[in-house]
Amino acid sequence: MNRAVARIFVIAAVLFAALIVNLTYWMVVRAEDLRTAPENHRRIAQEMKHPRGDLLAYDGSVLAGSVRRSGYYRRRYPQGSLAPHLLGYDSVRYGRTGLEAELNELLTGESLELGTQGWVDRILGRRPDGADVRLTLVPAVQRAAQQALKGQQGAVVALDPGTGAVIAAASAPSFDLERLESRWDRYSGDPSAPLFDRALQGLFVPGSAFKVVTAAAALDAGAVDPESRFTDTGTYVVYGGKVTNYGGAVYGLHDFTTALTLSINTTFGKVGNDVGRKQLTAGAEAFGFWQRPPLALPEKAVAVSGRYRDGALLEPTEDMDPLGTAWFACGQENALASPLQMALVAGAVANGGRVMVPYLVYEVLAADGTTVSTAEPEMWLEAMTPQTAATLNTMMQRVVTAGTGTGAALEGIPVAGKTGTGEKGDGTNVAWFIGFAPADDPQVAVAVAIDGVSATGGEVAAPIAAAVLRAALEQVSLP
Amino acid sequence: MKPRTVELLFLVLAGAAATMAYVSVYAGRYGEVSRASIVYALFFVGVFVVLHFVVRWLLPLADPYLLPVTALLCALGLTAIYRLEPRLAQLQGRWLLVGAALFILTVVVVRDPLRLDRYRYVIGAVGLGLLVLTIVAGTEVRGARLWIRLFGMSIQPSEFAKLAIVVFLAGYLDDKKVMLSVPTRRLLGVPVPATKYFGPLLIMWVLSLVMLVFMKDFGMSLLFMAVFVALLYMATTRIVYVVLGAGLFAAAAAFALSVVPHVRDRFDIWIDPWRYAETTGYQLLQSLFTMADGGVVGAGFGRGYLLYAAGDPVVPDMATDFIFTALANEMGLLGAVAVILCYLLFVWRGFRIAVWAPDGFSKLLAGGLATAFGLQTFIIIGGVTRLIPLTGVTLPFMSYGGSSIVANFILVALLLMVSHRTAVVHSGDEVQRRRLAELR
Repeated sequence: MNRAVARIFVIAAVLFAALIVNLTYWMVVRAEDLRTAPENHRRIAQEMKHPRGDLLAYDGSVLAGSVRRSGYYRRRYPQGSLAPHLLGYDSVRYGRTGLEAELNELLTGESLELGTQGWVDRILGRRPDGADVRLTLVPAVQRAAQQALKGQQGAVVALDPGTGAVIAAASAPSFDLERLESRWDRYSGDPSAPLFDRALQGLFVPGSAFKVVTAAAALDAGAVDPESRFTDTGTYVVYGGKVTNYGGAVYGLHDFTTALTLSINTTFGKVGNDVGRKQLTAGAEAFGFWQRPPLALPEKAVAVSGRYRDGALLEPTEDMDPLGTAWFACGQENALASPLQMALVAGAVANGGRVMVPYLVYEVLAADGTTVSTAEPEMWLEAMTPQTAATLNTMMQRVVTAGTGTGAALEGIPVAGKTGTGEKGDGTNVAWFIGFAPADDPQVAVAVAIDGVSATGGEVAAPIAAAVLRAALEQVSLP
Repeated sequence: MKPRTVELLFLVLAGAAATMAYVSVYAGRYGEVSRASIVYALFFVGVFVVLHFVVRWLLPLADPYLLPVTALLCALGLTAIYRLEPRLAQLQGRWLLVGAALFILTVVVVRDPLRLDRYRYVIGAVGLGLLVLTIVAGTEVRGARLWIRLFGMSIQPSEFAKLAIVVFLAGYLDDKKVMLSVPTRRLLGVPVPATKYFGPLLIMWVLSLVMLVFMKDFGMSLLFMAVFVALLYMATTRIVYVVLGAGLFAAAAAFALSVVPHVRDRFDIWIDPWRYAETTGYQLLQSLFTMADGGVVGAGFGRGYLLYAAGDPVVPDMATDFIFTALANEMGLLGAVAVILCYLLFVWRGFRIAVWAPDGFSKLLAGGLATAFGLQTFIIIGGVTRLIPLTGVTLPFMSYGGSSIVANFILVALLLMVSHRTAVVHSGDEVQRRRLAELR
């Protein structure tokens, strides 16, 4: 009997030894693999033992600060949920997104950009101090954009056309960064997708807002000039199909400026085919379509605009017949654009045809307060000649003074713009307004997209654009 | 050195460790070393000092290591629970008092474990009744039907049934071991004892099968079956029972895998948790991540990242099933191995008591209790470290849970009584011998 008891103890001892071997395997042998597994966000917890650099707004106010609670530095957001999609979250549970992810090495102080001190500190086992990052976001403009979007599903992007600095980027519905973890299930289960950044990641049918691109391509190609005459009969029959005007309107004899002012589809369809699909799509590419706008954010955070089918990006002229070309010239037929891209379109017209590289980081401040680096505006693309830009500027002012975009007018300040009503095919529209102000000395360009409405861009989006432009122009200084 | 002196010495050591752990966690949470934290720790030490004096009075020759190990494990468990969810630690503290009270009650009332053998069938029936009650009136929590609600409390009867059934089997098998070891006929080439003696054992097998299917609890089912097979082997020394038992359980497990989706899930997660990283495998993966962060020396008590910003633990059920994960994170590999060795020490003392015990019943009782204790520890630590499929049993003395802690205090009392009896029989201590004889 005693031998049997002893044997069972030996079995028990072997099992316990197996526990120890297995535990050593996970805690030592495989520990590094586990720590670096993409499913594991716990390394964020290690970084949370040290203060994380602040994310500051352009005016120096703190957007995301760092506060110590039970041994760990956690994020706090003194200005509430201002630009949560852009800032991104910093959660041990759900990982990092947005600027928190993109700027992580600066915020933790490990970046080489901060000099070799970070390396030296790391080699010596010390923890480098995190840098603060001052962004180009202007709280008052961002707040105005968020306020204007309340109750809608949509986005606003405002940028400085001359530099490419992003002044505001708002997406609605939004979420509360402070309560992300406790409300995660609600946010992630919400069909209106509050965690999704419609401003940079959202792709919407641009509708007539895209006519700015068509007009630029046509003017550059010399296919039209503002006085070119067209006759509208309400339909443009092409390639076994037809292009019709919004609401079935018939405009008769008109010039090209009027076609843009009143957003006449048949004329833009004709112009599209006059220019040709190759040059039309090339014109779009010159604005940044078919490229990821080079905004320094995680790869997936910025969408590529272009022609899409079943969620996949098509080659520029792939499967494009003259009917398709005509509709594409009107911003329909597979065309999808992000609000950021459309803001860049407006910005290009405002900036003499040059598309600037959009950026969010104004300057990086080392822990001791010295400036490590300051953003230097760069040109990204030349979308059109300066002459074409000037012509389009004048035409777009007409949209706001006498056309579909009167809702965006500001008192005493000339505004240039273009409305759009992208038809989604399910009976609802995407209401657009893109524009800039002051038209004679552009300080801010804006794009507004409101999804799932029955109204037009002029009715819904233009007033929102006006509110954001007004807020921006009230600022003493913009980046 | 006298056993009680040794015990007191180790209790002081355990108490010191407990105090340091608690003060450290308290400092981690509130950023200060307060008098209150020391008072709480001393109160805890006081409970075990009381138990020590009860043992000194009634079981002076009992094993000196079990109580200090129990104290250390309880202290670490309570500290870890406090660190995760202070509200639960308060409840657990109360359960610890209840457990200590039942320990004293058991020692005072039973005194001599041999007296339990007289009520073997009553005790066995109570154990069986508890399990049936759970199946009939139990509430399901996370897929397993393990709890019954009584007076606003959740009780896990299987923890007590475990003890009752070990007592019953120890008595029954000791009685029938001769008949069980002598085969009267052969079935498929396997020597099988008479059905008359074998019957109750089949009932045990059916019982664990029923537990598996109706309670959907793989862990407890495995525990019951394994304890039963171990006892059968200890009683008869016939290896054929082990093979037979393992085969029968494997058959039952295979059956459960195909019939009970809850069990199937657990198995799939064990094979590949990464495939279910965001769903059913989340808990296990987070447990591994959390342990990996501990490294060799650990983050330090109260310094690991175990709570999310909202205050909920990084691994769901961390205070109960995954308490070991929390300890491994903060105490590191060294601390976690030390904890495993503490359990092994406990199990070793249990089997040692069994080996030295003067009679068959005592041997089987101690051996059965040690097996149950050791196996339960193995099942849950192995589960949270992905050595075996995860099943939710408590880690003795550490996991949050009243039933578990109370039942395990009774288990310690039983082992101490057996060891005291052994020492009395082996020693020439006439006084103690007479005191035991008077009890019978």
